[in-house]
Amino acid sequence: MDPEDVAAAQEGDALALDRLLDDLAPYVHRLCARIAPAVADDATQEALLAIFQGLSSLRAPEAIITWVRSVTVRTAIRLARRHDPEQAEEDALRGRSVSSLEGLVDIDDALARLPVSQRVVLVLRIKEGLSEQEIAALLGIPAGTVKSRLHRARAAFREEWEA
Amino acid sequence: MNDPVGLPDIDPIDRLAILAAALPGAAVRHRRIAAPFEAVWRVIADLEQATPRYEPGVSQVRVIERRGEFLRLRVLDTAGREEAMDARLRPGWCLMQSATVVIAFAARELGGETLLAHLEHRRAQPPVTGERASHHRREALAKIDQELRTIEGLVTHDER
Repeated sequence: MDPEDVAAAQEGDALALDRLLDDLAPYVHRLCARIAPAVADDATQEALLAIFQGLSSLRAPEAIITWVRSVTVRTAIRLARRHDPEQAEEDALRGRSVSSLEGLVDIDDALARLPVSQRVVLVLRIKEGLSEQEIAALLGIPAGTVKSRLHRARAAFREEWEA
Repeated sequence: MNDPVGLPDIDPIDRLAILAAALPGAAVRHRRIAAPFEAVWRVIADLEQATPRYEPGVSQVRVIERRGEFLRLRVLDTAGREEAMDARLRPGWCLMQSATVVIAFAARELGGETLLAHLEHRRAQPPVTGERASHHRREALAKIDQELRTIEGLVTHDER
């Protein structure tokens, strides 16, 4: 993404904003589809609204993807929890058993069956390639929590994952 | 389009809301027009003929360059001033911009009719606050409403 284009969009150049939307929308949608699969379209729209509303306050145009990722992840978590708050928490407490995930071949299907809190750290680690420290900073949680959630999530569907 | 991880086509009306979020002070209105999408979009896309009929400040629009969706326009206002505009035009989406103004239209099919949204935004204007801001906003929204009614008239007239 060209930082000059981002800077033009920040200055209110509508055609640059339009191009930026073309560039960002697929990424935002992909992330939302993984973190909040049941409400991916709504999460995408809310995240893009928040991104474009806050765009002028972004100080470093070259860091736009990091910032977009952060806004999108927070929005997607909020909508995923709003969509299914009780199940998400119960799942987190009980932990999904491997048996409930048997037969799954697609990693996105497997991700969708995890509690939100575990799903997010896995998406950020595996799909986004972030370190545990970066995930902790993005989510505002201790690195130890990230590590334990990753451990639980991996344990829940190691077979599908490593196959 | 609904592929969970695939590339989404953002609905044009949603796209307009996102654009408006980045343009402080932008005025947006929607109108449901009792005509098929194609009939409504025929009017919007006819920039040279239709724009002067619904936009009171414009007397002439000329398309001087066309590269796919991207157009270069020459717009003559009713005071005789000429301004260049860049535009992006495709079915359901029309975005035009000059140094001073942003104009956009978005449309989607809605049960055999058409939902049309229209945005106007003054660029590089000093921020106005308080009662004056509310007054400007009311005026801007009323202007857009009037233009949408005129466009509806053009569509239904063409349909007859």
